[in-house]
Amino acid sequence: MPQDGVVVVGGGIAGVSTVAALRAGGYAGAITLVEKATRPYDRPPLSKEYLAGASDLTQIALQPAEWYAEQRIDLIGDAVATALRPRLGEVELADGRLLVADRIVLATGGRPVRPPIPGGDSPRVHVLREASDADRLRELLLPGARLLIVGAGLIGAEVASTARDRGADVVLVDPLDPPLAAAVGRDVARWLHGLHADHGVETVTTTLEALQETATGIGAQLVGEPDSREFDAVLLGVGMTPDTGLAHAGGLATDRGILVDERQVTSAPNVLAVGDCSRLRDHRRTEHWEAAQHDGARAAATILGAEPPKPTAPWFWSDRYHLHVEGVGEMREPDAETQVVVRGTLGEPPFSVFTVRVSTGSTTGRVVGAVAVDDSNAVRAARRLIDRGVAVEPADLAEGDLRQLLRGR
Amino acid sequence: MSEGIRVASVDDIPEGEGIAIPAEVAGTEDDIAVLRDEDGTCWALNDTCTHETASLAEGWVEDGYVECPLHSSRFSLKTGEVQGPPATVDTVAHRVEVRDGEVYLHPNERP
Repeated sequence: MPQDGVVVVGGGIAGVSTVAALRAGGYAGAITLVEKATRPYDRPPLSKEYLAGASDLTQIALQPAEWYAEQRIDLIGDAVATALRPRLGEVELADGRLLVADRIVLATGGRPVRPPIPGGDSPRVHVLREASDADRLRELLLPGARLLIVGAGLIGAEVASTARDRGADVVLVDPLDPPLAAAVGRDVARWLHGLHADHGVETVTTTLEALQETATGIGAQLVGEPDSREFDAVLLGVGMTPDTGLAHAGGLATDRGILVDERQVTSAPNVLAVGDCSRLRDHRRTEHWEAAQHDGARAAATILGAEPPKPTAPWFWSDRYHLHVEGVGEMREPDAETQVVVRGTLGEPPFSVFTVRVSTGSTTGRVVGAVAVDDSNAVRAARRLIDRGVAVEPADLAEGDLRQLLRGR
Repeated sequence: MSEGIRVASVDDIPEGEGIAIPAEVAGTEDDIAVLRDEDGTCWALNDTCTHETASLAEGWVEDGYVECPLHSSRFSLKTGEVQGPPATVDTVAHRVEVRDGEVYLHPNERP
């Protein structure tokens, strides 16, 4: 097939993975990458090392600066795409430049959700998605600074941990008790959430009702509390919404994401979408780093006419209070067909927890999910057990050599 | 060609796992991860992942590569070449040989 050029809009992990996989797969045509930052950087550190001031933009770059030239990728940094014309194969930039390509890949990511809370537009209210967001937040994380974090998901929890390391006073609110149960299972979620209090964070099961600037800070009214409390800053960590504006204006089908098929192709055959901005029809979005990377690899395979990479169980990691958490697949609560197996002792890292589906009357089952704290290799084994559909005796997961299980011994 | 430094008996390293040799023993800048692939062959790489501080000796070894225990960056056991993100920088491979069931490390020699 002709390789007449690809334009990728967005230089997060999805966009950069797309261009890397195109070149790795032998794509010979021109590749242009449009990114709103000067150079693409990795986002996971923004709530961790980068927020802590332990790494800078060069250290969290997705690729070294010279890589783009080496790979013959025309990186247009500090640029915003303002129009998409699928029929013409055109992307227009804010400065008026017109990029024309055989294929266009949208990797526009998402924006943090800003719930419509009274006072939510105060400059003391922060979100965390871009490096510049982390830069602004870091300035405030001083010893004794009063920080309210709304949402105790992965980002809220990571920022709470980083903020405590920097000596800030943190109040963390979430309506769920415990938060993250869907991602890591209820028992692990409860233990993980308890770490906040162990590290001096006040956790409150509630929601934020209203904010109001005061002479010395910002007052936060929490649902169920008689008086408002005063903070220096508020971080909203309540999820993201896919950035579909460019796609929608360009006439593509969007519905809680730019709709794509299994090959990442949108409703326009020459336009693909990857990462947080996209959603596979009839599926939920998987807002994890690796899922975005895999989207990029799949989009590149589509463009190259190559075999797509094999699907694999979704995997994520998170860090809090110097503990490393990983999860793979799907965690479920025990029922007639679901067993939960703990390896080690829950709450005493290293440990891991497996979810196993066991059919009635059978002694063996199949792993569907696992979560580990400071025990990554248990999750690496679980991922392979899931992907390969290996039949296991649940008790072997608690005690046995996981590599032996994979080898079928 | 050096004689090499005896660092372990091959049986001390289970297949699919690794051990870390301290830099002062190896005489190298970084600690060295001696890694044993599933097929039993031994390889050596600089131990610290080129992405963030993590020990590749604690990684997952399979099919000619090691996966970092923190973020799953993948490195070729043979060449140290990075084969999967988030790492973007290759690591250094060192020569290892097995003689009479003992593992000898040749620091800073290419495999």
